[in-house]
Amino acid sequence: MLWEIWGGHKAGFFWQGVTLGAGLCFAQWKRHGVSELLAVELTIASLSAFIGGYLHLLSCFAYVEMDAAKVKVGYPGRLLLKPLRTFHLVLAPMLVGGLAVTTMLDIWLAFVLKPLGFLPAYDLCWISAVLLSFFWWMQALAWGLPLVRFRSFVMVAAALIHLTVGVMPQLPFSISPAWQWGTLGALLVSAVSFAWIGLNLMRQGRGDGPSRISALWSGLRFARARTSRKKFRSAFAAQFWLEWQRQGGLLPGLSGGMALVGFPFLFFVGFKWVGVDAPPPEVVLILMLIGPLLLSGMLGAALAKFDRLDSTRELPGYISVRPMTNGGLVMAKLAMALASSALTLLLSVAGFCLCQALAGKGTLLSKAGLVTPFGPVSYMTGCAPALLLLIIMTWKNLLAGIGSGLTGRLWIANLFGAWRGAAGMGFCALVLAAKLYEDFREALLHWLTAILIVCLAAKIGVSIAAFAWGLRRNAITARAIGWMAGGWTVCGIFVAGYAGHVCNALNQPGLRIWVTLGAFLILPLADLAIAPLALAWNRHR
Amino acid sequence: MQLRISAEEGAPIYQQIVAQVKYLVAAGRLKPGDDVPPIRVLAEQLRINPNTVARAYLELEREGIVTMRQGFGTTVAQVRSLLPRREKLRLLAEPADVLLTNARHLNVGLEEVILLLREREAAMQPESTK
Amino acid sequence: MKFPSPSSAEAVVAVSDLSRHFGSKAALDEVSFFVSRGSVLGLVGENGAGKTTLIKHLLGTLKAQAGGVRVFGLDPVADPVGVLGRVGYLSERRDLPGWMRVDQFMRYTQAFYPGWDEQYAGQLLEQFQLDPAQKIKTLSQGQQAKIGLLTSLAYRPELLILDEPSSGLDPVVRRDILEAIIRIVAEEGRTVLFSSHLLDEVQRVADHVVMLQRGRVVLNGRTEEVRGDHISAVLAFAEPPAKTPVLEGAHAVAGYGSEWRVLFGGSRLELETAAALIGARVVEERTPTLDEILVARAGGKGS
Repeated sequence: MLWEIWGGHKAGFFWQGVTLGAGLCFAQWKRHGVSELLAVELTIASLSAFIGGYLHLLSCFAYVEMDAAKVKVGYPGRLLLKPLRTFHLVLAPMLVGGLAVTTMLDIWLAFVLKPLGFLPAYDLCWISAVLLSFFWWMQALAWGLPLVRFRSFVMVAAALIHLTVGVMPQLPFSISPAWQWGTLGALLVSAVSFAWIGLNLMRQGRGDGPSRISALWSGLRFARARTSRKKFRSAFAAQFWLEWQRQGGLLPGLSGGMALVGFPFLFFVGFKWVGVDAPPPEVVLILMLIGPLLLSGMLGAALAKFDRLDSTRELPGYISVRPMTNGGLVMAKLAMALASSALTLLLSVAGFCLCQALAGKGTLLSKAGLVTPFGPVSYMTGCAPALLLLIIMTWKNLLAGIGSGLTGRLWIANLFGAWRGAAGMGFCALVLAAKLYEDFREALLHWLTAILIVCLAAKIGVSIAAFAWGLRRNAITARAIGWMAGGWTVCGIFVAGYAGHVCNALNQPGLRIWVTLGAFLILPLADLAIAPLALAWNRHR
Repeated sequence: MQLRISAEEGAPIYQQIVAQVKYLVAAGRLKPGDDVPPIRVLAEQLRINPNTVARAYLELEREGIVTMRQGFGTTVAQVRSLLPRREKLRLLAEPADVLLTNARHLNVGLEEVILLLREREAAMQPESTK
Repeated sequence: MKFPSPSSAEAVVAVSDLSRHFGSKAALDEVSFFVSRGSVLGLVGENGAGKTTLIKHLLGTLKAQAGGVRVFGLDPVADPVGVLGRVGYLSERRDLPGWMRVDQFMRYTQAFYPGWDEQYAGQLLEQFQLDPAQKIKTLSQGQQAKIGLLTSLAYRPELLILDEPSSGLDPVVRRDILEAIIRIVAEEGRTVLFSSHLLDEVQRVADHVVMLQRGRVVLNGRTEEVRGDHISAVLAFAEPPAKTPVLEGAHAVAGYGSEWRVLFGGSRLELETAAALIGARVVEERTPTLDEILVARAGGKGS
């Protein structure tokens, strides 16, 4: 079993090592005393490394197999048939997983987070144990899937319970350690038992049986289905609906969850217990609004899939035989991404208002009165462009890599992902070098305009070529091209205008040209132009 | 009209239909003026290709067993008069061929076959006099 | 081997010299046939003979590496919308979105086809006894085949392509599906192409039969003609031959002692001549079923 995990996730372990190494480096670097700005950047960098790496590790060891065709997630079925005692089947992944998870956490905490100054007061044992229990619960839930009809609710409940248990030592009223460890022990044991019972039932083939609750639920659903909605207005609407159903809620769900539940809980409950003040509203606002950008950056690659649980990136049969052009399919994805981004940002704003309300500092509206003398309405209308800008940025992040992802070849998507990562790091290195070396900065600024113009020209050239090729091969209609090119132009003008406005406000008119060119450069066009061709390559192998 | 189609048998399906309809007519189970099911219905009933049924009906019409009238929605066929004698003999020709081929393979001469036929006829007598 | 004479004006599907390699393995080798409007073509062959690969070429899911495919006179890769809008398809693996409910899937599919007949769809839904509120992943295999068939029949496509429609289904469901197919065929101008292992179904329903073996077309013609071109006979030898007798033109020879059953490709005269050459005589003969022909050609020395 170990060998299987190893074999399946060799690349994953490699990345684990990389992120751990990166985190370690950043932490040590910071420790050696650097400037304020750099410190913050390093913190963010190592934090992201931690989060990314750790989540990946969790997914590796969850030991869950997905069957995209039947959307059944659970324990690998073939192992259930082996002549092993169920308890062994349960124990092995849990022990291995638990061991890996806790060890890695300890390493991260001790060597990376501690030097960064996070979590000053904690008990390493306790946190590891709580995390272990949570991990086992997640495994048990994932395996015991046939039993639990409302697994999403149970998962959330389990998360909240563990969170509560986790902060138990920090509660103002003291609970004796015996009670704390007792509760934790109970959680651990129940996780293992739950997994054991679940696997036993699956082995006996009774996992999928309907329960009374599920029968009631089906009845309700049927009642809803009778009065179901009218038919879709167009094929595009149907495809949009499909994309929304599969992936649309992902970003708003994660980000909105963080904004409406996670952050308020953290700031107003967690911090209070630890004795730290809630951060000032500016920081909260920034977190709320930056969160979607970061998240969308991470989720971007997933947009190329047609089904959340798909790992092969092939077009599913029920889509590839529909009489819709590849361009149409891509447009549906674009529309879904836009709707998703818009919803996410709206949820973030709502989350911010919630935080404000909780902090007793009044809502955004009352604060508006303080900021401008023109009243809250003009304040809102003034904020609208900023919101729009963020929506566009989030949307752009989601669309990153759509061209390479839609080819259906995983290696291409990974290749371009690595390329983008390398380009990003190169960009960071460039910025760093510019900060550190004066003459390099001079030369760079001297040539910057030319460089940007060349890049933009190349981008437009590639896009035109791709559009032309797409037209010729019937991969995209002229109308779709109009939408894409038009949308790019309009968004580019908007972003450039806004950024230029900001430049003027900051008294840096010289930056305007770079900002304008940059705006058009970062918005995706070539990627979109290539996307229908890539999809055609995927659809017709 | 109940027919039985066997995919196993040597004869093509449409020929089986033709033969069975002819048999039903000869046996009096299909009388002149009786309706024969429309092509579609028979095809669904027997779970065979409608073109096969169409071909069988065409063949039957060609031989004068049924008449097809277009323009009434479904094909209403009228079974004509009872088969003339030579039709009946033609019907018997095939089983006769089978019998004779088998006899040849078994090295049984024609005279013995005729004797056998008389024997079998005699054996069937008590039933027909009931 | 008889090829039907081409009349391309009527050909709904025209495949010419289609070849396809997967790595070093040749999945299709110069396959040529055509399907005329209003006919039913049965595609038969053992597993791995290339039936699904061929069907995927008709839908544009696979691109022709050599040779050409035309459906309604259009290239399915160059013009997916023009072709797929008039084709109904049921794949072997069913390829259904498990997370959708039955009614959702119907609504989704409906949006793509202007010719969707709601009344007919409702009729089929009732007839197939499907629960619209059920999620597709909870349906049984038979029900999944039914919903797949429903969503490809409801818009009355000109061409219906079915890949193993009856595979893995019990006889009752098979009967339903066959009846639905026959009803389609009975409608004017509709063409059906289906691949199946159930050769008695192919025999009953298909006008034409194309048999693939290792990617090559080994039989192509009207069902009855294909059967008529073969004879299943029993040969008797004067004395039992030492080893399995070799008969010129036979696809399979099996037996023991002095009597051997052969499946012969050719006329009765040719059979008797060939038999005489090896010192045997024909004691029994009949027309074989498609099943026997397929097994004989597959198991024996491939012609």
